[in-house]
Amino acid sequence: MTRNKNVIEVEGRVVECLRSAMFTVELENGHQVLAHISGKIRKNYIKIMLEDRVLVELPPYDLTRGRIVFRYRN
Amino acid sequence: MNAKPFASGLSENAVVITRVADRQWHALDDDLVVGRGHAEHRPDGRLFVSIDAWHDAAFDRLAEVMPAQLPAPLYTVVDEADAELTAGWRRAGFTVRRREWEYVVPTDPQVTGLEAVLPPSGVTIVPAGRADEGLLRAVDRAIRDEVEASVGWQSMPAEVIPRPEGDTVVDPSKYAVAAGPQGYLGLIRVVRAKRPRIGLVAVRAGEQRRGIARALLAHALGTLHRSGCAAAWTEVNESNQAASALFEGVGARPVSSNLELVR
Repeated sequence: MTRNKNVIEVEGRVVECLRSAMFTVELENGHQVLAHISGKIRKNYIKIMLEDRVLVELPPYDLTRGRIVFRYRN
Repeated sequence: MNAKPFASGLSENAVVITRVADRQWHALDDDLVVGRGHAEHRPDGRLFVSIDAWHDAAFDRLAEVMPAQLPAPLYTVVDEADAELTAGWRRAGFTVRRREWEYVVPTDPQVTGLEAVLPPSGVTIVPAGRADEGLLRAVDRAIRDEVEASVGWQSMPAEVIPRPEGDTVVDPSKYAVAAGPQGYLGLIRVVRAKRPRIGLVAVRAGEQRRGIARALLAHALGTLHRSGCAAAWTEVNESNQAASALFEGVGARPVSSNLELVR
């Protein structure tokens, strides 16, 4: 886990693809967050799928939601 | 690291936008970054912007400041299901330029009805990895020129990845082609990553309406089916009725849509 630019970055795994372009991501510590994808990922047509390993940003004031900022090559 | 505690919302101070690099902006609230904006050129020369913010107020300030500092027109992409984000861009004056459907395409010939489909007389399908690279690049270039001279390549779904200037065939091994007596007539590109994706299916303008695209699709889907893939994915521009008919005719169904917005 790293802290950068006032956000927390955590690796996780996509465990559910939801409606409204949202995803449930299970973090390394077992917690689950509701995440959407970052504008840079969307802009570059990178598709997020079930089981993808991703890097998620969390706002420090709300650890239940996040933003997928990177998809790792599995 | 800023040690100030975060509140659940923005502070009483107004969000301040700072351009931190040529194509990068930060939204600051009490010196904390609460939003980020980026701009980048695509290979076709268009300028795309994106904003990531935890609050509408930060999003709106970035969406107000960035266009004022960038040349028009500006483009962005949103998942149509993301109503909140779409609404944010609309508030900033962006309008829908085009809609792109994502289809899931079955591969089983029993479902697609492509089992008995053959290419037209005089045309053969060359499997992926066996195409002549020179002829492949020639037909790709010719098709792209034809598209650019008609509806325009910007209306076509295209995965944007870094590539050498002017080179659109990054990996020739991913293309199967339709070969005629005088050269290649059409092509299909299938990327077989975790989720097989049909990135491009196209036929020379003078060779369309002969069943070549359907034959290419039959070949590609059949190959995927034999290797154990039950489905493939592709994107189709909503206004491309021929492509929609081709895919829906084999049982493909739309599962999501992206909007390209412009201001």
